[in-house]
Amino acid sequence: MNEPVRIQEADFSQDEEIAALKATSQRIGGIATFLGCARDFSEGRDVHEISFEAYGSMALAEMNKLRAAAIARFSLIDARIVHRVTTVGPGDNIVFIAAAAEHRAAAFDGCRWMIDELKQRVPIWKKEITPQGESWVTPHP
Amino acid sequence: MIKVLFFGPVADRVETREMQFEYTPGITLHDITAKIGMQHPGALSIVSFIAVNQNQVHDKQMALHDNDEIALMAKFSGG
Repeated sequence: MNEPVRIQEADFSQDEEIAALKATSQRIGGIATFLGCARDFSEGRDVHEISFEAYGSMALAEMNKLRAAAIARFSLIDARIVHRVTTVGPGDNIVFIAAAAEHRAAAFDGCRWMIDELKQRVPIWKKEITPQGESWVTPHP
Repeated sequence: MIKVLFFGPVADRVETREMQFEYTPGITLHDITAKIGMQHPGALSIVSFIAVNQNQVHDKQMALHDNDEIALMAKFSGG
């Protein structure tokens, strides 16, 4: 079974990630997920591709810390974080976050917290390729 | 040697992904960033995070060690 925290070029399967999560415990009563995918439009411009770059070793370490912190903070049963680092096109998957808990509130809260914190803490950068040229994305809150 | 890594927008500005600096006893993070700033004045203006050996640091006066790995990073935009 895949590691619960990964950085990879290849696409991921949400079904496989959720199945892996469910296999960890029968006490799970709710799983909240976030799927980030590539848009074809940003800041008033068409986007043809998005290219990701990471400080891989640090990014993976930060994502593992994030997962551990979320499990502790929200009393999650388990959590998974997968981020692709490659070039993607509109509609392609980028990031998958899942939080499993006994009850829905913790799952929702933990899932949202992880994606919000990932954007703040994990050294990954995205570049949009548009008809007007390429530009690194300025982070959004 | 001290290795300095650049990623994304910062790498574009310095036009390289890695630099090496000779280690000398007492050398600080500030000494390294000042050297880079003199060579590439526009690069440091977008550096929001600095890591030493993959841990974020805030004290530029910290003494470095031989074989340290520094990363100068712009604001993150993953997700």
